[in-house]
Amino acid sequence: MEMPYFPGCTLYRKAENLDASTRSSLAALGVKLIELPRWTCCGAVVPLARDNYMGMVAAARILADAAKMGKTLATVCSFCYNVLKQVNYVMQRDPEARQKLNNYLEEGYRGEVRVIHALEICRQNPSLRAAKDRGSGYLRGLKVACYYGCTLLRPAAVALDDAENPAVMEEMVAVLGAEAVAYPLRTACCGSYQVLHEGALVAQKVREIIASASAAGAEVIITSCPLCQFNLDWWQERFSREDGGFRPVPVLYFTQLLGMALGVPPGDLGLERHLVDPRPLLSGAPL
Amino acid sequence: MFLRSKGSEELIGRVKEISGQDPHLCMQCGTCGGNCTAREFMDFLPRQVVRMVQLGDARALRCRSIWICSTCLLCTVRCPRGIDVARMMEALRVINLRRGREALPVAKIPAGLLGQVPQMALVGGLRKLSA
Ligand code: SF4
Ligand code: SF4
Repeated sequence: MEMPYFPGCTLYRKAENLDASTRSSLAALGVKLIELPRWTCCGAVVPLARDNYMGMVAAARILADAAKMGKTLATVCSFCYNVLKQVNYVMQRDPEARQKLNNYLEEGYRGEVRVIHALEICRQNPSLRAAKDRGSGYLRGLKVACYYGCTLLRPAAVALDDAENPAVMEEMVAVLGAEAVAYPLRTACCGSYQVLHEGALVAQKVREIIASASAAGAEVIITSCPLCQFNLDWWQERFSREDGGFRPVPVLYFTQLLGMALGVPPGDLGLERHLVDPRPLLSGAPL
Repeated sequence: MFLRSKGSEELIGRVKEISGQDPHLCMQCGTCGGNCTAREFMDFLPRQVVRMVQLGDARALRCRSIWICSTCLLCTVRCPRGIDVARMMEALRVINLRRGREALPVAKIPAGLLGQVPQMALVGGLRKLSA
């Protein structure tokens, strides 16, 4: 099956390994992602001011282009997913905003594209279980903390799953033969872009999230957000340098774990790009 | 004690218009602040910011809290009165930003981070915190 795909700008630079592991692991499930022929940054954050139409133009442009390619648009970065889904929601429900944006873009888009996250593609994929059985099975028993963060779940109108009690990542982890640990902070915020402005806030959030996941026995954390990945990874590396007793937990993209389970060649997963090196932990794996 | 002035009505009106939220629905329960990601770093909790908006107290525009908010939307999804608190915080930011008052000039971003953060942090942070 082919599906139109919006990678987003971070996946072309800092999170190339999220892009590569998404393409390769979904390909292993029989889903071929077809990148939109032209696209721009989605804007990263959705404007919360009702009169800020300019902040929605880029996403509306992307959606209107996607409508010419098909009925769905796949994406994997949590921020892109959130922005595209929220702007799509506005295009469906807010006639005034729809008219303004369409006039500006010279389009007649009405929100007909379905924005779909790679986790949803996995959830509805019949071959996930079968594909995993062809893999090596070395994830068996690995204790995984699924970290959702904010933008997959909030606001509730665009949530990928139950906004307060999601299960989609845990279900995937269970199918892959690993064990999802229960820990309270899986839907907490890592501090997001405040890393640029109020680093101490992000440092504290990272400490809390890691402590919560570690207390539940997590050996690895998975996410779909390049900013969560960066914040958790970068600060942990710093904590480790400052305090020899600190035990960092590797932070992977869920697509990297998925790819490993499905037998995607390790070279296609970009595991070496993380600061807290996950490879020693996964050394039973054919890396 | 805070006394209303003509500016108070204007502030209440602008926050209502930009956020689309009615601050007077707030019953001051504090759920928003109890859940807030940035609460320990704020000078006023989100509940207090909403109270200032109810009263038209211009300190709401000058407080640190609006710039420390990470737009995590935990307040929004958990407010028992259905107020989108994050939109009110954003309205207070944009009233400042449209007057050129910003919290994150590019020059203030730590040099060690600039080349390392994912692109989305730069685009997102500058959109929320820079004029
Ligand atoms: S949670 Fe809602 S009702 Fe309660 S204090 Fe905050 S804004 Fe007011
Ligand atoms: S959106 Fe802002 S005010 Fe609301 S809980 Fe998150 S950090 Fe706090």
